[in-house]
Amino acid sequence: MGKPEKKPIRILIVDDHPVVQAGLSSMLATQGEVEVIGSASSGEEALALVRQDMPDILLLDLRMPGMNGIDTLNALKEMKASARVIILTSFETDENIYRAVQAGAQGYLLKDTSQRQMLEAIETVHMGRRYIPNPIAARLAERMLRSNLTARESEILEMLAKGLTNKQIGTALSISENTVRNHVNSIMEKLEVSDRTEAVAVAIQQGIIQIRD
Amino acid sequence: MHKQSSKWRFTFVLIASCIGFTLIAFVLIAYLHLPKRGLPYHDSFTTGKADEWEAFGGTWTVDDGGMRNDSDERGAKLMAGSPYWNNYLLEADIKLLGEDGDAGLVIRASDEEQGVDSYSGYYAGLRTRDNALTLGHANHGWLEYRSTPMPQGVQAFRWYHLKLLAFQCQIIASATSSVNANNNSTVAINEPNCLKSGRIGLRSYSAGGLWRNVQARAATETDLHAMLAGLSPQQLSNESASAENEMAMFGSGSLPSHLNPQQTPPVADIKPISSLRLVSSSHRVVSTVRGVVSLTSPALYVQDSTGGIAVKTSSTPPLKVGDEVQVTGAVIPGAFSSTLQDATIQLLWARTPVQPVSVTASQAATGSFAATFIEVEGYLRSREHIAPNILALNLEAGQQSFRALVNEGRGDLAFRILKPNSLLRLRGVCVVDPEFTHSLTPFVLLMRSTDDVQIVAGPPWWNTRHLVAIGFALLVLIFISHFIYSKIEQWRLRAIFDERELLAHEMHDTLAQSFAGLGFQLQAIRNRMPDDMPAVHQQLDLACDLVRHSHEEARRNIAMLRTEALERIELVHMLECCAQKMLEGGQVETEVSQTGDGRSVPMRIHDTLFRIGQEALANSVRHAMPTRIRISARYTEDSVELEIEDDGTGYDKHTEQKGFGIKGMRRRAAAISGVLEITSAPGTGTRVHVTAPLPMRLTFRTWPSYLSKLWRRIPGLQSNGQTREETYSYLNRR
Repeated sequence: MGKPEKKPIRILIVDDHPVVQAGLSSMLATQGEVEVIGSASSGEEALALVRQDMPDILLLDLRMPGMNGIDTLNALKEMKASARVIILTSFETDENIYRAVQAGAQGYLLKDTSQRQMLEAIETVHMGRRYIPNPIAARLAERMLRSNLTARESEILEMLAKGLTNKQIGTALSISENTVRNHVNSIMEKLEVSDRTEAVAVAIQQGIIQIRD
Repeated sequence: MHKQSSKWRFTFVLIASCIGFTLIAFVLIAYLHLPKRGLPYHDSFTTGKADEWEAFGGTWTVDDGGMRNDSDERGAKLMAGSPYWNNYLLEADIKLLGEDGDAGLVIRASDEEQGVDSYSGYYAGLRTRDNALTLGHANHGWLEYRSTPMPQGVQAFRWYHLKLLAFQCQIIASATSSVNANNNSTVAINEPNCLKSGRIGLRSYSAGGLWRNVQARAATETDLHAMLAGLSPQQLSNESASAENEMAMFGSGSLPSHLNPQQTPPVADIKPISSLRLVSSSHRVVSTVRGVVSLTSPALYVQDSTGGIAVKTSSTPPLKVGDEVQVTGAVIPGAFSSTLQDATIQLLWARTPVQPVSVTASQAATGSFAATFIEVEGYLRSREHIAPNILALNLEAGQQSFRALVNEGRGDLAFRILKPNSLLRLRGVCVVDPEFTHSLTPFVLLMRSTDDVQIVAGPPWWNTRHLVAIGFALLVLIFISHFIYSKIEQWRLRAIFDERELLAHEMHDTLAQSFAGLGFQLQAIRNRMPDDMPAVHQQLDLACDLVRHSHEEARRNIAMLRTEALERIELVHMLECCAQKMLEGGQVETEVSQTGDGRSVPMRIHDTLFRIGQEALANSVRHAMPTRIRISARYTEDSVELEIEDDGTGYDKHTEQKGFGIKGMRRRAAAISGVLEITSAPGTGTRVHVTAPLPMRLTFRTWPSYLSKLWRRIPGLQSNGQTREETYSYLNRR
């Protein structure tokens, strides 16, 4: 399959869970184009191994005791390490994806990804491109469009766009008018606008909300 | 550790507050028992107030800066002060209002009742019969210790100053005439087993009396010696009361009044009062009657055994209720009773006041009891002051309404105590004269004093003000309990969400990771399998699929548990998001609709419906290749319905087995007592419909149906019994 002169991609597995570590090592060991040079069970350990063994790719878990995935990513950025990072996690919340990509992750995979897709991701990232599967990319896009708005805030923003008053929104969501006002203030702050009308305008412009009907 | 310390702190606070409350209670009790609380005391008769006094017989009224008892009653008492006063000096100015009897002061009194000597205490009084100052001990019986004569005698209608002191077991009394300081006398006893403490009182016997400047103050040994100095040497022997001393076991001043030789009744043609009614009005008839005074103010009434009569005279001698008099005057016959006009009154002697005749209001209204002293019951409808110090009570008994007038005498206490709609028993002279009735009521009751009013039963509790207050209190209570309930509910929810979050973490760290690891391991095995074993390859592929499926499910469960709790998103929107994620932006149209309010659906039901919906969507997206998916939810008062419909390929229920998916959905629906219906046929799409009942909820709108459901459950007790039996047999089997 692979050309003989091509050097295998050197991989470091970073995951605190021994079952995952073992399984992943076993699986990747059967593939000729990659070489697992080691595994670390914490961010600190991973940084030491990166410094020592200079791996090409890190398969990094997000949730670990002590230094977590995002912290590790930031530390790597500071070290100016040449290793590229693929996040391999069970999490798929918008916030996790967003923060990981912001911190410099080149790939984002879920742990139930098939072997084929995983190898494809490793090769793609090794060649210097990003590898983010479609559903995750969709969520990332959504998250980025929403800037930093919470679910409740975008709900209120949509209601604002329909022309509802604070009082009507409060009644519809069964929260107090004061709470609505706080949410609206927070929306205006996040969208960097000075009034409600502008907020709606910006939101439509950026595609944060869609006008239906 | 922390819990333990907070528990200790709680116990500590509890014990400390218990001790605190006990201490406060002790201090309060000690204060109330203080022997000097309320001393020194001075009456406020000059301002017309006498709320602190309590009457036992007599007709006590505040009059001209003093307290007046116009009754000839034997042993009328008026008590005040604290039962814990011990060493004190009581003094007052006293005037006797009758020639035959005595009046004085009481100290260290307790157990007072109505009656001649019905109290425990010491009495010192001035007596006209033997012109003496007397001192004795009453204990529901009279024990006279000493009486010393006043040098110039005791006269009625003269002021005397009386002092009565108790220090330890020394009791000493002294009296001085206000006009002649030489007319004084002192009497003292030393009783070994004396009464230690008690109240103060004013008391009169047969003669009425007038008291003023009543004052009491704590006494010291110096006061005792100052008073003892007034004793004559032979009295100073300080011997204790013994049988040698002048001791009498009869009531104080209890010589029968008719033995009084003061006046001989003049012989005249005395007629029974009732006979005067028959006198014709054509010419003037002068008659003489003899009777007992039943009322002195605002009009004079005299009563004998046949009836009563009003007496009008220009010059009234000082008369008291209970005096026996002989009246001569012109008879003015009235409709029901007569009047004696221009009468001359001769005071014969003092007798006990007449007893009232107990009648009903309708009997009194007939007029048969006109001018008679009666006792009648009625409900107080209103009360008013018709003149300064004159209190008018408007009463009703059955169909009969009547009015009662009384000189308030001792302040406006009566006005405050008498509440409308209470049942009163009143004593007074029944008057039908239009001068008093103004023809408004059939009769008016003229009462001697406020002590003639007795409250039989207070007003009923259900008056408007009380009902409004109760209603208001109830409202506040409901409001508070609702507030507390919602707070508790909020805490409960918060606790549940915390627990779910913890569970999600736990599942993530164990289940999900293990699935992931297992999947990789299986993949590794499959990679190393030689290519010539296709069967094993196939099995390994299946195993990988199963693990991946399980992993996916675990991941979904974790996501589910993490759902942002307090701000829950509507079920249909959650499912729409879910569908869009599965479709990955494919060309499938999703349509969402909802009726009703889903916010009150319990979380468990909400979660389960979401899972079923998710599974249905997954099936649809994976297998049916639809172009449209419709998600709809319908919430009613007692159920929730969810429907997922697609226009995909559909399937034949009888031939195709969908595996775990549908079984899982059925199992989940059953867990919330829901019903799952799947309608599908090849080429017509699939419709998954689930209906789940909602638990009963008590809200403002649902309470009638809630109660009826609760009611319907009661016959179900029997089935509960069966369940219990089953449990027993199950236990036995084990």
